[in-house]
Amino acid sequence: MPSVSIRNLTVAYNKGRTLALDNFNLDVEDGEFCVFLGPSGCGKTTALLCIAGLLVPTTGSIKIGDQVVISEDKKTFVAPQERNIAMVFQEYALYPSMTVRGNMSFALENKKYSKEEIERKVNSIASMLGIEQLLDRKPAQLSGGQRQRVALGRALVRDPSLFLLDEPLGNLDAKLREQVRFELKRIQRRLGVTTIYVTHDQTEAMTLADRIVLMRDGKVVQEGSPKDLYHKPINTFVAGFVGTPRINFLTCDVSVKEGRPYFAFGQSALPGSQALAVTLNGKSCVVGIRPSDFMLVDTTEPEAIKGKVEVVEPLGDEIVVHFTAEDQLLVGKFSAADEEKVNERIAVKVDPDKLHIFDAETGDRIDG
Amino acid sequence: MAGALPLSKTQKLLHALYYMLLFIFAVFYLLPFWGAVTTSLKSSAEVFTTSPLSFPEKLTLEGYRAAFNHLKKPLLNSLIITAGGTFFSVLLGSICGYAFAQYRFKFDNVIFVLVVSAIFLPYQAILVPLFQTIRRLGLYDTVWGLILAHTAYGIPMMTLLFRSFYGDIPRCIVQQAMLDGYRPWAIYRRIILPSTKIATVTAVVFQFASIWNELLFSLVLTGYDAMPATVSLNQMMGTLAAEWNVQMAGSMWLALPILVLYIIMGKYLIRGYMAGSVAAT
Repeated sequence: MPSVSIRNLTVAYNKGRTLALDNFNLDVEDGEFCVFLGPSGCGKTTALLCIAGLLVPTTGSIKIGDQVVISEDKKTFVAPQERNIAMVFQEYALYPSMTVRGNMSFALENKKYSKEEIERKVNSIASMLGIEQLLDRKPAQLSGGQRQRVALGRALVRDPSLFLLDEPLGNLDAKLREQVRFELKRIQRRLGVTTIYVTHDQTEAMTLADRIVLMRDGKVVQEGSPKDLYHKPINTFVAGFVGTPRINFLTCDVSVKEGRPYFAFGQSALPGSQALAVTLNGKSCVVGIRPSDFMLVDTTEPEAIKGKVEVVEPLGDEIVVHFTAEDQLLVGKFSAADEEKVNERIAVKVDPDKLHIFDAETGDRIDG
Repeated sequence: MAGALPLSKTQKLLHALYYMLLFIFAVFYLLPFWGAVTTSLKSSAEVFTTSPLSFPEKLTLEGYRAAFNHLKKPLLNSLIITAGGTFFSVLLGSICGYAFAQYRFKFDNVIFVLVVSAIFLPYQAILVPLFQTIRRLGLYDTVWGLILAHTAYGIPMMTLLFRSFYGDIPRCIVQQAMLDGYRPWAIYRRIILPSTKIATVTAVVFQFASIWNELLFSLVLTGYDAMPATVSLNQMMGTLAAEWNVQMAGSMWLALPILVLYIIMGKYLIRGYMAGSVAAT
């Protein structure tokens, strides 16, 4: 049974002229870690607020577990107080007048837990997050990372049926972000709580998600596992949004020679997969190449793309090479062991099956 | 001042000039107060033989005793009216401010403008209908009549003040409390009020001072029984002709509570004035 079912959710502003959310549909499975990913203003937070009940949608219905929390006709509306949802806001939203302990026990007090039980729960979550020594402090006395943990702890202590996180790592520095990201995933696995996580950071989405819902302009562009989105992006937007360094796009004309399509750009041509020959013959299309799909070859190799190296970024075990070929700036990612092959000029090849082919006009993926 | 840059000669001269100017203004403003203090400490006889600004030859509390006897009941009335009016206007204004700051409802902006526009109603404009209303309610010459009038007149200003204070509380804090299972009233009591104590102190001091010093409503809405000290002091001028020491002592009695309030609340007040500039989290 899906833990959250969303049907035809639409949120309109300015008398319907602006759609923050446009006919949004989604099923989140029980225990799943689902990430809403997209650029700012794509409607991901709006969707989250609707699920929490903090925003009433213009149309659409939402079911959490087997309870309809808002029905299509709006006759049923379950108040946020009754939804048993825990949420972590980007700004943490800690209660400034209360201590950490007070913040964490606030929701439990309302549920009429006994004092001993509240104490026990708060202490166990606090030790799990390593914030026991902070329990008697006020939020103003905490650092950003500590506040973030308290906000997380306050949500975890409740045994919610659904866990919503709105860019919870946005205010942390890079190192802390990585650490908390790992902890978050571990805790989620351990507790098995259905989680919806909003972010614009594709690395966060890729590392955390069981499933990513990639959104743009209030619509779902593609949903699937991180692998799906990375290996089978349905259009150029998805391909460009997911993966670092960013995917390379080349606009090419296709010609078929001996049953094999060739993607021509400038003086060079990339051989493609034979399966696509018929579909693509004579068309123009956009070819996407992941930086890690480039293979370094000898500069004398036929059918290789030859380029001039601009910048080399060493990352320890890997190197990122920015090079120009046929006046196009391209990025490749190689093993650091290959660094000696990278001189002033390099030659690269791509496995024809690893090319992502998109329609030049619509940007949609073309599969063989 | 440590760490300050050394000043040039012209700057030093300018500074000296500023301070001289400030000093002159200070003297100018404090002179009447000084006159009131010295006069209040003189005997009736001395008032006529010496300059109002001279230091008393013989200090006496005679004027204070006489003024207190005269103002005893009015001061008590003032205290009750001010406490009541302050309590209700701050409480109701704070609740209104909370609603307007943190919740969206139909016509909220229209209602807010309507409520707040009452601030710009001059006292005089509502005096006659207010008098008639209070009399019809059977509250003429009772402390309740004035408490009601001051509460009603104070709500718009308090609503405006509290809305801006509560508007500084991030919405997500209220939303978080909702998700934690709390209703608006509980959120108000357990989150909003404890987070904004300084704002409340500021509002209390503001209301207390303006109701305590208010004359016109009191003049119109009370006769003898509920007369507050401002009216009574005003009447002393007619009845106690030329007993300046008693009148000045009366003024001192009247100023005392406000003075005490400012001294006690002063440190909160300054922080309160600046509360809007710092985020609540």
